[in-house]
Amino acid sequence: MLELSDIGVRFGGLRALDGVSLSVAAGEIVGLVGPNGAGKTTLFNVISGNLRPQRGSLHFDGADIARVPAYARARRGIGRTFQIPQPMHTLTVAENLAVAQRFGAGRVDAHAAEEILDLVHLTGLASRDAATSLSLAELKALEVAKALATRPRMLLLDEVLAGLEAVAKRRFTQMLAEIHARYKLAIVIIEHDIETISTLCPRAAVLNFGQLIADGTPAFVFSQPDVVASYTGTVPDA
Amino acid sequence: MAARIAASFAFAVAAYALVPFAFSGNLYLMSMIVAALTIGGIALAWALLGNLGGLVSFGHAAFFGVGSYASALLVMKAGWPIGISLLAGGACAALAAVLMLPALRLRGPYFALAVLAYAHIFRIVATEWKGLTNGAGGIGNIPRFPVVLGYDFSSKTGAYWIVLSLVLAFALIYAGIRRSHLGLALRAMHDSEDATRAVGVNSTLAKASMLFLSAFMTGMMGAFNAHYINFLEPDYAFSGLWTMLPIVAAIFGGYRTITGPLIGAVVVYLLDQLVFKAMMPIGHQIVLGALLGAMILFAPQGLQSIFARRLPRLRMTSASGDA
Repeated sequence: MLELSDIGVRFGGLRALDGVSLSVAAGEIVGLVGPNGAGKTTLFNVISGNLRPQRGSLHFDGADIARVPAYARARRGIGRTFQIPQPMHTLTVAENLAVAQRFGAGRVDAHAAEEILDLVHLTGLASRDAATSLSLAELKALEVAKALATRPRMLLLDEVLAGLEAVAKRRFTQMLAEIHARYKLAIVIIEHDIETISTLCPRAAVLNFGQLIADGTPAFVFSQPDVVASYTGTVPDA
Repeated sequence: MAARIAASFAFAVAAYALVPFAFSGNLYLMSMIVAALTIGGIALAWALLGNLGGLVSFGHAAFFGVGSYASALLVMKAGWPIGISLLAGGACAALAAVLMLPALRLRGPYFALAVLAYAHIFRIVATEWKGLTNGAGGIGNIPRFPVVLGYDFSSKTGAYWIVLSLVLAFALIYAGIRRSHLGLALRAMHDSEDATRAVGVNSTLAKASMLFLSAFMTGMMGAFNAHYINFLEPDYAFSGLWTMLPIVAAIFGGYRTITGPLIGAVVVYLLDQLVFKAMMPIGHQIVLGALLGAMILFAPQGLQSIFARRLPRLRMTSASGDA
């Protein structure tokens, strides 16, 4: 479904992404991990069209999307959330979903919106002002709901569990599993918590200093010396 | 809902019938009201661009001037009927806005300054393209509004009805867009453009469409004015006053609302021309400036917000009085 090949992004002298190649199949859940500054969010920005890479190719469903703008990628089925929740200001929760449905999915479907709100546990908050009256957990749920309202086939979740306390995190993880089961989406999730990745994702990919250093099952990936070293800051044995 | 329809009907009757009935004998006052509504139409177009497009323009004089000249020239040189040329004036102003598209990449004061510079370019073109516009000499004897079904629309009352209809049509279009999903997305875009793009909103096209619509409306007001005053010259048609007065009116009335710019235009222009000018024939704008400054300091949401705060109290007082 998604094919990234030799993606390179530089910010001045900094190589944010350096030759990253990654493919994600339809319906697959992939955990994207790595230390802070490894290039995870930059990779999401490249996939969603918020950032154009200096080199490499991107294909989604076989089509070259390198020059497709962000809004058009959303319409093609790439939904995303932001690390810092970005509700649409001045709009209610229901209006946030309506705008996402109208422009991302092509039509407003009140029944589908209710179903999504129920799934992310925001039922009853539809008339609330999205930017000013929601808790962090609710804002994160709204991020997911907005992305779902565009009827995506691939969901990019950028640290949606960060900042949540343990119970809320477990609930959220369960919710993501339900979303995957119901919509059969491909999901790529950036997450620091290894336990969550191991629970939710059959596959994990690890970025460090802009390079993909491991890709496989969580058990395999987290046993790799390079990966352990990237997290602990030690140098792996030769 | 029924109360709202009744209120709208009462307003329409008052605007279309009572104002001409009360003031048609005073041609000076009618001409002031027509001028106030002309400024109100531009103020509404300016506020639409600001509220929905999120763009602050200092260049609406360019759209007004292009609309004026386009309509006058199409009637005089191509023989178009005035009704069609009014629309064509708006369309030409929207076309002129196409040249501003590169400026949409800019934000805040940078966009405002780019548009201000752009407005000057049109003024220079109108002055120098003597073969078409007669340059600084201007164009005289621009055809007036015609007689339709025996009624002379070139009269003050006829012009009043035309400009009132244009302004109300603009207000309805503005209200329709604001209520639509496009309106919701546009309002949300100001503070969260990445978020709107991520759900499929083509933010550049959305902003551009508001720029075109605002230019179209302003161009139509310019076209109306050309046939109302029957004379054009570049320094008048592209005057900075066609930018500044509507901005002052919109801010005074409350630019976040639809009725605010209209109320602001009528109050500001009539106060200035009928009251302040009578008190201070020279320098009367100083009073207006001071009033605007006070309004920004003490009621930044404009007159509309003062009415909104006062009205519930008045209703409550009236209700308790009735009881």
